[in-house]
Formats: sequence, C-alpha cells, structure tokens
Amino acid sequence: MQEDNKQNNKTDRRNFLRKSLITGSILTAGAIGLEKVFPGEKDSGEKVKVLTPDGKVYVASSEHLKEYRPPPVTNAEARKGIANKKFVMVIDLAKCDGCKTCTVACQAMHFTESDREWIKVFKMQDADATAPYFFPKPCFHCDNPPCTKVCPVNATFKRQDGIVLIDNERCIGCRMCMAACPYSTRFFNWSHPDPKQTAAVGNTPYSPEQSVPRRMGTVEKCDFCPDMIRQGKMPACVSGCPMDAIYFGDQNEDAVTNASGVTVKLSQLLEDNAGYRHLEELGTKPRVYYLPPKNRKYPIPDMKSVGNEKKEKKHIEMDMGIMQM
Amino acid sequence: MKMNSMIKITSLAIAITGLFSGIATAQDQSQALGKSEATIELSYYKKTDMSKTAVAVIKAKNNDGKFVSAKNARVNFYVMHDKEQQLLKNVNTDNNGQAVIMLQKDLPLDEDLSFTIVAKIENDNLYEDAEEQVHYKDANLTLNLNPNDTARLVTAKVTEIGKDGKEIPVKGAEVKFYVHRLFGIMPATDDNTITTDEKGEASFAFPKNIPGDTKGVIIVAARMEDNEQFGNVENKATASWGTVLAMDKDPFPRALWEPYAPLPLVITISTLFGGVWFIYFFIFFQLRKIKKEKQLKMR
Amino acid sequence: MATEKYNLKQEIETVREDCLRPTQKWGRSTQTWIGCLLIVMGWGLYCYIHQLRDGLGVTAMRDYVSWGLYISTFIFFIGISHSGTLVSAILRITKQEWRRPITRSAELLTFVSLLFGGIIPIIDLGRPDRLPNLVLFGRIQSPLMWDIIAICTYLVGSTLFLFLPMIPDMALCRDRLTVCDSPFKKFKKWLYTKMAIGWKGTKSQWHRLELTMTIMTIVIIPVAVSVHTVVSYIFAMTLRPGWNSTVFGPYFVAGALYSGSAGVVLGMAAFRKLYHLEKYITPRHFDLMGRIVLALTLIYAYLNLNEYWIPAYNMVTAEGHLLSDLFYGSYSKAFWTCQFGTVLLPIIIMSIPKGRTVTILTITCIIIVAGAWVKRYLIVVPTLLHPFMPIQEVPGTWSSYFPNYVEFSVTAACLAGIFLVITLFSKLFPMMAVWEVEKGILIEHDKQAAIELRTKREAEEAKIMGKRLKTGFEPLK
Repeated sequence: MQEDNKQNNKTDRRNFLRKSLITGSILTAGAIGLEKVFPGEKDSGEKVKVLTPDGKVYVASSEHLKEYRPPPVTNAEARKGIANKKFVMVIDLAKCDGCKTCTVACQAMHFTESDREWIKVFKMQDADATAPYFFPKPCFHCDNPPCTKVCPVNATFKRQDGIVLIDNERCIGCRMCMAACPYSTRFFNWSHPDPKQTAAVGNTPYSPEQSVPRRMGTVEKCDFCPDMIRQGKMPACVSGCPMDAIYFGDQNEDAVTNASGVTVKLSQLLEDNAGYRHLEELGTKPRVYYLPPKNRKYPIPDMKSVGNEKKEKKHIEMDMGIMQM
Repeated sequence: MKMNSMIKITSLAIAITGLFSGIATAQDQSQALGKSEATIELSYYKKTDMSKTAVAVIKAKNNDGKFVSAKNARVNFYVMHDKEQQLLKNVNTDNNGQAVIMLQKDLPLDEDLSFTIVAKIENDNLYEDAEEQVHYKDANLTLNLNPNDTARLVTAKVTEIGKDGKEIPVKGAEVKFYVHRLFGIMPATDDNTITTDEKGEASFAFPKNIPGDTKGVIIVAARMEDNEQFGNVENKATASWGTVLAMDKDPFPRALWEPYAPLPLVITISTLFGGVWFIYFFIFFQLRKIKKEKQLKMR
Repeated sequence: MATEKYNLKQEIETVREDCLRPTQKWGRSTQTWIGCLLIVMGWGLYCYIHQLRDGLGVTAMRDYVSWGLYISTFIFFIGISHSGTLVSAILRITKQEWRRPITRSAELLTFVSLLFGGIIPIIDLGRPDRLPNLVLFGRIQSPLMWDIIAICTYLVGSTLFLFLPMIPDMALCRDRLTVCDSPFKKFKKWLYTKMAIGWKGTKSQWHRLELTMTIMTIVIIPVAVSVHTVVSYIFAMTLRPGWNSTVFGPYFVAGALYSGSAGVVLGMAAFRKLYHLEKYITPRHFDLMGRIVLALTLIYAYLNLNEYWIPAYNMVTAEGHLLSDLFYGSYSKAFWTCQFGTVLLPIIIMSIPKGRTVTILTITCIIIVAGAWVKRYLIVVPTLLHPFMPIQEVPGTWSSYFPNYVEFSVTAACLAGIFLVITLFSKLFPMMAVWEVEKGILIEHDKQAAIELRTKREAEEAKIMGKRLKTGFEPLK
C-alpha cells in the first residue's frame, strides 16, 4: 500500500511538473510571439529630465529640447481647451502665390513626412470660364464637425475654443472620420513612423495638442498648433507665410493677425473683402474664412500642369529660398 | 652660358611669383564667390518697462537673386563711446533672420545726449561684411487715463530726456493708439495717429465697441513708430473700456458632436434595443424552464 | 389503417435516417475539403499577422481610398446574413409549409456570415489592441456604435433563432447515439446532451418552444432590417456624393434580402447534392425560392434605378464626376456588368419557368451573389476616389486603388472560415430540421386523410342521392 502511495505521489508530481512546464513554455512562447507581433516603442537619443506643468517628470531626448517646444498639458486640459476663446483663421486668396511655405513650415513643426500636407495648397478653378486661384486648405475645425459626430470612441473631439483635435492614444483606427470629412483633411498613419522623425521627436509624452509622437494605425490632421497658442504664438503656417496671406485670431476679440503682426478687425476684414467659407452649403460651419482673389497680387496658377505628380520637397524649399547652413 | 642661366632663373622666379599671385587671387575670388551679399535692418525699441532693445534683421541674397532671411548669421553689436566702437555682444540670427540684444540702461551718450548703436557682420563664413547704425535720443512716453472713464479718453505725453534727467515735452511727434489683441496689436480706429501739441500731449478717445475679456478689460497702447529722433517708443495700460465677454455657461452641451448625446437619441436607441434584449432575456428564461423539466416523464 | 400507420412510421424513420446520416461519417472528401479550407485560413492568418506588425499600409489602401475590400466584404457578408431571416422568419409567419427542409441551412448561413461579417471591421481597424475603448469611451452618436449594437443584437438573435429549433433534434441525436466507443463519439454525446437542455418532448416543453419560436420569429424581422439599415448609415451619414442619399437604408436592405435569398438557394443546392436530400429539397422548392429571389431582385432593381437615375438627371457637380466615372469612366465596365449581368439577366432568367429549375437557378444565384459582392465594392470605392476637394499632387498609390494580395488573402480566409464552420456544423448536426420535416409529413398526412374521408363521404352521399332518383320516392325524413 505504502509503495503504491509512493508510486502515486511520484506520478502525481511528474504529471504536475509536466503540466506546469508545458503551460509555462506555452505562456512564454505566447508572450514572445505577442512581442514580435506588437513590438514596443524604441528609445533613442541622450536623456534629459523635464518637469511638466502638472508636476510630472518625464525623460526627453536632449535633441528634442533644442527646439523651443514646451512640455505638453494633460489630456484632460487638452480636451477642454482654452476658455472664452474661439479661434478663427482667414486666408486671403488674393495674396496667396502658391509657394507652399505654409505646408513646409507645418511639416517642420510637426515632424511630418513630406507627402502629408496638413495644410495643402490646391490649384482651384471653379468653372471653365472663371480664373484659377491657389487655395491653401488647413483643417477647418468646423462648428458642426462631421468627423467628430461619427467617432465611436471620442478620440476626435471639439474643444470649447473651437479647435478639433485627435487623441492618438485613444484612436482605434476605424477611419470613419476620414470617410466623413468632406474636405479630405485627415491623414492616416498606415505604417510605422519614419525612424528619423521618431528620433527627432524623442521621448516627449504624447499630447493631442502637439500631435507628436505619432502612432501607427491612428489618424492625424492640422491642429491649429494649440501648444503654440498657449505660448502666445500663432500656428506655424500663419507665421511662416511670406505673403502675409493667412490671418489667425480670436473671434471673441473680433481681431485677426497675420505673419507680419498686422492685426485687423475680423468683421471689418470680412465685410470689406466679401469673406466666405468653402462649401458653406454642406452646413459644417467651418472656422476658416476665405477672401476671394480679387485684385490678386500674383499670377494665376497654370492648370495644365496640375496632375498627380508629387512635387519634390527640395524644389519647394528652393522656391521659398530658405538659406540653409 | 651665364646669360642663359640668368634668364632661366629670372623666368623661373617670374613664373613662380605669377603662380603664387594667381593662386592668391583665385583664393580671394573664390572666397568672394562663397559669401553672399547681406543687408542689415537695424531697429531700436523702448518698451513699457523702460527696457531698450536693438533688433537687427539680416537678409541675404540667395541663388535666385532674391533677398531672404538669413539664419545663423553672426552679428556684432557695438555702441559708440567717445568716437570709438565698444563691443556689446555677439548674437546669431534665429530662423527668421533676427538678432536681438538688450541694451543697458546707462548707454554712453554724446554731447547732444544721443547714442549710436552699430550692428556689423564681420568675417562671417557665409555672408559678406555689412554695417548699419542707428542714432537716437532717449524719450519717455507716458499714458494718463482713468480705467473706468466712460469717455475712454487717454492722454499720451512725449518727453525728451535732457540734461540731468530733465524731461522736455516734445511737440509734433506722431503717436499712434492701439489696443492689444491675442497675437498682435490692432489700431484702435482707422485714423489712430495724433500729433503731440506744445505740451507734448496727444489725446485720443477709444471707440465704444472694442470686445474685452470677461470683465470688460482691454490693454490699450500708444506708440511712437520710427521717430527720427527717438526710434520706437511704446507704453501700455489696462482699462475697463471693452465690452464684457459673455462667458460660456455650458461649454459642452449635449449635441451630436459632443461627448454626450442629445437625449432623444439616447432614449430612442435605449428603448428600441433595450426592448429587444428584454425579449431575449425572456427567451433565456424560457429555456431555463425547459431545462428544469427534464425530470418529468416522456410524452 | 394499420398499413397506413406503418407507412407513416416508416416514412418518419426514413426522414430521421436521411437527416442524420451525414453526421455519422467523415469521408475522405470531407477531410480534404476541410484541409484545403484550413490551408486558406492559415495563409490568411499569416497575412493578417503581417498586417498587425507593419500596419494597414501593407494593404493597397491609402489616404483617399481609406476603406477598400475589407469594408466592401463586410457589407456583403452582413447582406448575406439576411437569408435566414427571410426564409425562416417570413416564411414561418406566412405559414408556408414548404419552408421546412430549408430553414436550418438558411439560419446557419445567417449565423455564420454574421459571425465573420462582424469580425471583418476588427480586421480593418488600425489599432485592434484598443478595442476595449469602444466599451469604455463609446459614443452613441456614432453610426459605428449603432452598427456594433445592431450586429451584436442580431448575432444573439440569430443564434437563438438557430438554436431553438435545434433543441428537439439535439434530443433525437442524443437518444440515437447509444454506442460511444471513441472519444469523438463521447464528445458528440456530451455535446448533444448539453444542447438538448433536458428536452423530453413533454407538452409544456413543446408549448414553451413554440412560444419562444413565435416570439423570435416576430422580433428577428425588425432586428434584421435595422442591422442593414444601420450598416447603410455608416455611408449615408457622411456628406460624400454617392453616399449621402436618403434611399440608402431601403436600398441596402433590399440588396441584403436579394443576395441573402440567393445565398439560401446556393445552400439548398449544395446540401441537396452533397447529402442526397433530393427527396426533401425538391424542384418545387427551387421553383418557389426562385420566385422569391425574382421578386426581391425586382425590388432591388427598382431601388437601384432610383439610386442612380435621380442624381444622373441632376448632375450636381460632385455627384456628376462620380456618375461619369461609373457610367462611362474607369468603373463603367464593372458597373454595367453588374447592372445588366447580375440584376437584369437574372430577372429575365427567373421569369421563365425553366429558369427556376435546380441547375439553372443555382447558376443564376451564383451570378447574383458574385454580382452583389462587386456591387458593394462599387458603392464603397468610387465615391472615395471622388471627394469634394480635387486630388492633386499626391503619390500615385493614393489616387488609384485595387486590392492587393494581403486583402485578398484575408478576405479569402474569412470566406473559408464561413465554409469551414458550415461544414463542421453539417457534420455534427442534421442540416434539416428533422422534427419540422416530420411535422410537415404528419400535417400532410392528416390533410390527406381528411381529404380521403371527405371524398368517401361525398361518394356515399352521391350513392344515396342516385338511389333516390332511381326509385322516385322521397326519402323519409
């Protein structure tokens, strides 16, 4: 009997060991497999400690700190927005010469790849007999936003200051907002972000106000640079425009400012120049107004050269004449 | 034989000298080709807090012949002291081609109590040498206003700082009146320039309908811009002359695009699908009852 | 009388044997078929893992055509899922006796296509690891949220709708499986016992079953209509030309019923051939289903006409570009083939009686199902290529779209999954609702007996009347 018991104990132990070994190896294999399928974020760059406004310490790469970017606000603050402000943009089509400096300035600001034009300069011709014109189009941050209505997880949201942002920590990548936006304003991160840009952005904690670092499988778009606004600066496209064609300001103050610092009364500007909004009849209530290209300062675009060829980024920079070191 | 060797040595010497000078000239020329022509636009500002700054904007010629902002140009700022240039600071221009320095309060002055600031580009690798100077006297611009004045009247007084700090009123200076907005300053009206009278004063009435913040406060400013004698001088003050901004009572009301849905939508969907799921649960309950009957006999 | 009863019992026994025979053996061809399906699914899984690692950029989708083959297939599968509702629920409510042999295959098709149709949007997500956000932060204003709610509701409903009629059959299987000599047979016995939930065939149990089935029959119809309507809202609630149409709800439901009913016919034909159910699924069934498919195709054609003729008459700018592309541009071949080949042609074929024979109807329904898939693609992709803002100066891969091997592989894997689940189901459970067919036979038999009784009585009465006429006397009252 005792021997039988001993034998049973041995078998039991053996069984237990065998089972736990198998379970353990399956779990480990599974974990390794998952890691291979969902690789974690990689670190890069020399590390420096930074303190955020709400008292959190995060580690940033020193390269990133060379830029003037401040630490971002919390997610809750980013969702609320700046109280008692309603941001609005006015684009003077008579002054736009299609140089795309706004596009490049935005891409530099947000470490975006060159084919992602968050503010895109179109060559438009409304009818065969009407004159063509250059049409810079950022996100319109609509007051009746079709994109925000359809988001199933509240990843894109409208703040009290009128700005529509995307939270790329919550976005599930269903792309319903991209289908809903009638202005083709949104872009999707189809693959891993460019490693050079990931290195440049460093270890900044993500904030919807900065839209960096970008996450694969999420949506992005023009964000009216809220982090710059909090510093009292205007979005990169506005301050980068060499023709002073873009104005930005607070509708509550009834004033908009352009790149040279010229500040005008918003209602006066719209009244004097017959300001309008693009595709008004869609009812989206955009926050970007356009001034029609009357008494234009620059020649009309050549519509024959409009195709799907992507202009090289180098050529754009040479046109702008930015001096490089 | 001696003649031949003499001629040979002389011609060799000439050739070598010519070669070196040629190389030297070529080097000079190539150096001249590598650097771009640059222009300096130098301005002087005196702010509300009495601080003085000098701003140099450097523009350089690019390959297409256009003048564009020059990044990272090294600008040397000097102040003239007893007819000599005293180095103040070296600053590199930023992305917009701007170099800014703060000037000290007690700048060295000439006999007529004016100071001269010089901005130079010297021996820069990319840009040719350039120089620009400005020559101004110190002036004060003070604002006199009543923050609760219903007439919204402000009086700006321009005085020149004379010997021993005595303030002499300036007549005929153009003062422009602005209101501060979020990203810049806006002229208060279309016709916002007032010339100072004999007392050095310029009065201006701000219009009624300027939007203010939630308490109706606006920041008003007066500036002398590009004055020949005094440069740019400005002063600002707060006043409760703006219209009161109505605060958002509920910045996030229920709506289709807000986090919380309109109630009719919530009620409709809940009722419809809630009803269906209620029926499902009833069916699950019936299935349980069927299961419980397995003790009973067969039909 | 005794011989009649014997015949009836024999008939019922034959029904049971015929229905249960496929569940009793797993032949070589079944194993090969399942093997092929597993290979296709394995390859699709590999492609999906590649997509998970390297992002959705491994597909051909880019920023303009941000929804492609995956979403088209999703709509198609949800459309097919209307089959069970149609056949089972609507024919049950209208008390059509001929539905009995085909209800289970229709309900199964609904359940499986809904299951895989519901998985496809998850495959299409950029961040499937954030799926819990839908529950944690869900917004009920979003058409996608309505979609999730409706599909989940329909899935539970169709599961119930499939399960309830299976209960008596599970009891039958459980009782007939007496010898459990292999572990697989043991598993089957356990499965049947669990799924029969203690069914003994008592009066009260039957009563409850009939009650719940009636309730489900009534409830499943509006749920099914709401599902495809809500799927159409994903498109109709946007502002895009071609999608922003008020007729989208009915259009999609009609399209779903049309392709779903064709799917039922295909299921009928497949099981009839493979499991030798020719005695039960007769050419009369094909004729009647053919008429139903014809009626639904006509309704679909009518809505199709509305959807395209009205905007074509107006040629509003944005819609005009889209319609030009569909009518005589790059999508014209596919569009007109769909309209004439898969809508008009089947109408013509099914209108003639010969077109509703087994073979021809099956071929027609294959054309309908394939055409429905292409039509869904033509709803999704051309609109995305004609946004309000012109497409200018973008990379070449953005301005055109054709699905690549990743999308085809994953879609094929989903289709293989549907076939796999159907195959496994049909090998474990009877593909005809045995008790329903039995009941049909009994009803038919009772009807026949009643008719015989009546004819007998009438013959006797006629005899008496004849006798009276002969004698001329008034019969005594």
